[in-house]
Amino acid sequence: MEAMVVKQPQPVTIAFDVMGTDHGPAEVVRGAAQLSLDSPHIHALLVGDRTLIDNALAETKHNGERISVQHASDFVGMDEKPGEALARKPNASVAVAARLVAEGEAQALVSAGNTGAGVLACARHFQLIPGVRRAALATVYPTRSVRGAKEDPFSLILDVGATVEATADDLVTFAVMGSNYARIISRNERPKVALLSNGVEPQKGPPRVVEAHARLSEMKDIHFIGNVEGIDIPKGTADVIVTDGFVGNVCLKMLEGVHETVVELAQYAYKESLRWRAGLAMLSSGIQRIKDITDWNQYGGAPILGFDRIFIKAHGRSKAHAIANAGKVAAKVVANNLGNAIREGLQK
Amino acid sequence: MSLPDRIDPRPPRRIYRWDLDKTYLQTDFDSLRDLLRTAFQKAHEKVAVPGASALIRELSESGDSRLCIVSGSPKQMRAVLEEKLKLDGVRWDEFVLKDNVGNLLRGRFRALRGQVGYKLPAILESRVKAPAEAEEVLFGDDAEADAFIYSLFADLIAGRVDERVLSQVLEAGGVYPDDAERVRAAWKQIPVADPVRRIFIHLDKLTPPAHFTPYGPRVVPIFNYFQAALVLLADGHLSAPQVLKIAVEMVQTAGHNIITLSNSFQDLLRRGLPLQQAAVALSQALEGPNKLLAAMRPMPDILSAFSKRLAALGTPPPPPPVQAVDYVSLIHHALPRNHKGRTRPSPGG
Repeated sequence: MEAMVVKQPQPVTIAFDVMGTDHGPAEVVRGAAQLSLDSPHIHALLVGDRTLIDNALAETKHNGERISVQHASDFVGMDEKPGEALARKPNASVAVAARLVAEGEAQALVSAGNTGAGVLACARHFQLIPGVRRAALATVYPTRSVRGAKEDPFSLILDVGATVEATADDLVTFAVMGSNYARIISRNERPKVALLSNGVEPQKGPPRVVEAHARLSEMKDIHFIGNVEGIDIPKGTADVIVTDGFVGNVCLKMLEGVHETVVELAQYAYKESLRWRAGLAMLSSGIQRIKDITDWNQYGGAPILGFDRIFIKAHGRSKAHAIANAGKVAAKVVANNLGNAIREGLQK
Repeated sequence: MSLPDRIDPRPPRRIYRWDLDKTYLQTDFDSLRDLLRTAFQKAHEKVAVPGASALIRELSESGDSRLCIVSGSPKQMRAVLEEKLKLDGVRWDEFVLKDNVGNLLRGRFRALRGQVGYKLPAILESRVKAPAEAEEVLFGDDAEADAFIYSLFADLIAGRVDERVLSQVLEAGGVYPDDAERVRAAWKQIPVADPVRRIFIHLDKLTPPAHFTPYGPRVVPIFNYFQAALVLLADGHLSAPQVLKIAVEMVQTAGHNIITLSNSFQDLLRRGLPLQQAAVALSQALEGPNKLLAAMRPMPDILSAFSKRLAALGTPPPPPPVQAVDYVSLIHHALPRNHKGRTRPSPGG
């Protein structure tokens, strides 16, 4: 009988932009520290103010064999204009981290800082995959249904802001990229891909959406289910929802707004009357379940797709757990060679 | 010319004191099951911490050092532990084990888990027989009270701790009167000197390094024995080729690689250990014609990884300042983990 061979994962180094997050560098350091304990094959390269990183590390349980530090004297704040800030601060942590990834010191970048600065730093240091004209910023959104071997309760929406006006070509590219990402991350062999439009009929929407629909319908490697409407996003009708950056961003902000309003209404109800409070108490396990599903801390982050290197954008409010998850997502994308999968997908 | 009929060994210039469990051996005794498994393991089933045996062998190369082991393992395990050390090619000069059965029979239950009352007299009594000029390096772990006991030992023989503080510590540490008396008796026989150069704490439980800051820069928490070797290279106890031999063993037997080694190296630099010269010596050794180093190919990758990690840090911070250790307030570090005083806030802190 043949002995079972357990394949050890290849070591991978993830660069973490430690600076410029809502909770400060210590939270990112703690996330990387957690990763160094949980995932022996993942090495963290922490980029940022050395003193702040060292102070946080010294107080945190970690494995020093799996963590290194690259000092960066500057960082881009959340409220700064990305282009101007990066021009003024060539040693900003996100720029240094992107450069290190481009030079092969790390295989992926994770940042919870200024999104625009992250995208711009990647655009300056990474190359677009052949066949990709514009990168896409993806996000995950919690849904009613689950998908893939991991039963992920979220769908992927792209683009949500990197390419404001996408052409039909771009939308097709986004569909290929999103489909491959969902296949790798959710272990969903045939993710359902849909175009976001104002009706499910193939002729609905602006000409670029109609053209993209026609082309995607003919692609055998994409499980294209046609158009979906806004209402289908939280339902989880599709695993990957493709749209342009303008519509995607408006859509995302609206969904976030609805979520916040529901939470506020629940808080109002809790304070308003004893009867309502009792009702909420009875629903508490269900509410907790919804809270778990909609907790973006579970998902780590969302990718910028289209570059030859990996960039996972974590939420600015990410705590250590979310940062560690973002690092795991990045390592998984690297291990599964997403760039190659997209390249091959675009050639078909 | 006649040969002398007796050749006395050279007096030790250096003494290396080692704990065993979690310092030399990868041991689990956090649960009763672990404890039983450890007790019934055969010598060949026991696993040494990567690099530990190589480090000990390299440290004994000079021929004028002593290896003194003081372990909390019971005396009944002597045969199997000695066999394990022999299997690893480790030769020792002293090997002290704990008399747990004796403690049990005498109803000394505090002594079963207490470390201060066991290790402190044992290492002080060992020091009595050492030449006053012999330097010491001590190796322990973060599972029990090694940092506390080793530091106290160092400061006692250096005359930095007085009788009053010692009494307070022994009392707070739950040390039985006869053990306390052994401590005092041995201490009085030791000439005042300051021989302890380093105290390495193997971070088996990955305790955050800042936990050991109160003990000052003499205590160096380490994630692996490559780190200890680097510091001992800087301190003049090892040569660069010896350090590389230890690294080779860790690469070949324990899954270490260029990334883990270079990260370990940078970790020490970031903690303020002055290793710049050690880095230069390592680079020179790697460029030498040593056959062994062929095992470390590709050398350019190693050099590049080390120099990149070094360059990544910019200006090095100053080394941590030397400080007095407040043993009375740190006694909770030395109490057994289930002791109620362990979590009690330190006086004044």
